[in-house]
Amino acid sequence: MFQNLETIQYLRIVIIKDVETGNTYPIEILPIQHSDYKFLTIKRYSFNWKKEKEKEVYKLIIKGQNDILGLISIETIHAEWRIHIGLLCVSKENVGKAKKFENIAGNLISFVAKIAVKEFGEFACVSLRPKTAIAQHYIDAYKMNKTGATLSLEVPEIIDLINKFEHEK
Amino acid sequence: MRNKTINPDGDPEFGVDSRYTSSMEKEQDSIDLMQARLERMKNLTREEIIRAKLLQLKLKMEEYLKNPDYDNQKHFARFLETYIDIIYTKRNVFAVDLSISPNYLSKIINNHREPNEEFILKLMIHSEKVFKNITHFRKKTWYQIFYQEKLNATMASQDTWRPKIEKEINFKSLNSPF
Repeated sequence: MFQNLETIQYLRIVIIKDVETGNTYPIEILPIQHSDYKFLTIKRYSFNWKKEKEKEVYKLIIKGQNDILGLISIETIHAEWRIHIGLLCVSKENVGKAKKFENIAGNLISFVAKIAVKEFGEFACVSLRPKTAIAQHYIDAYKMNKTGATLSLEVPEIIDLINKFEHEK
Repeated sequence: MRNKTINPDGDPEFGVDSRYTSSMEKEQDSIDLMQARLERMKNLTREEIIRAKLLQLKLKMEEYLKNPDYDNQKHFARFLETYIDIIYTKRNVFAVDLSISPNYLSKIINNHREPNEEFILKLMIHSEKVFKNITHFRKKTWYQIFYQEKLNATMASQDTWRPKIEKEINFKSLNSPF
């Protein structure tokens, strides 16, 4: 069902920013290819992504390049009008104070938010269950709601997030 | 035990393992989250619901333009119908706002008549103002959908129109068609 959903972002430019230079680069978020898995080491991408092969997994790349800067796996729960984020990661060189690019995780979450709104309209929801220690970061950065251990993005905040990560051409 | 979050550099976005560990955990989360969401939904204003529906429409229109395969559907009319029904309680009011007759609007929505250029121009300006404070909406979207659909229909119906048209084309003035 979601094979072509990367396309929904094509009319707006989506970018990441080089922290050092301030330069911005257009990005693409695409379904992962089978051939990508051999590059997805735990050291660089936090998890064993091969275990997600049966799920919907998307990669973030700079347009025209092959290097994967971030990854996200999702599960769509139609009965609840919800998309649950399974795994989310940013490549190792893009985290911490010495990160090269910023906005990678935000763009991935925003991408999933667009899928959710396109599918479920005003009922759209994106959920995530981060460790307690970092939950506050997601609440602050993405205005997520907290329900027990689960964080979620819904209308109206989900719309604000989508708009935040899109830019005029 | 799975590593819930690998975070060697103090950056909370390095990696989040948010997968459910059991079906029981997932079921309980579904119940709790749905309950909380339904409560929050009660507080949504009409404007917030309209904003969400319009964004949904925009995303669907953009998806169609990116993957405009011919499917015998009347996309322009369906998108127009959805657009009007999101904003207006009565389609006649939209017709009045665009200074067109309700009958003409009805014919467009029901595919009994193609929209003329003036109608699409009015729709373009109307959408521009409606979407202004919601999200970016490209001015040419309605035009693109109308012509894309027309192009798809033309290409898909070549068996019907091509034999007659082809007979009217000749290369008498040329030695060969190259």
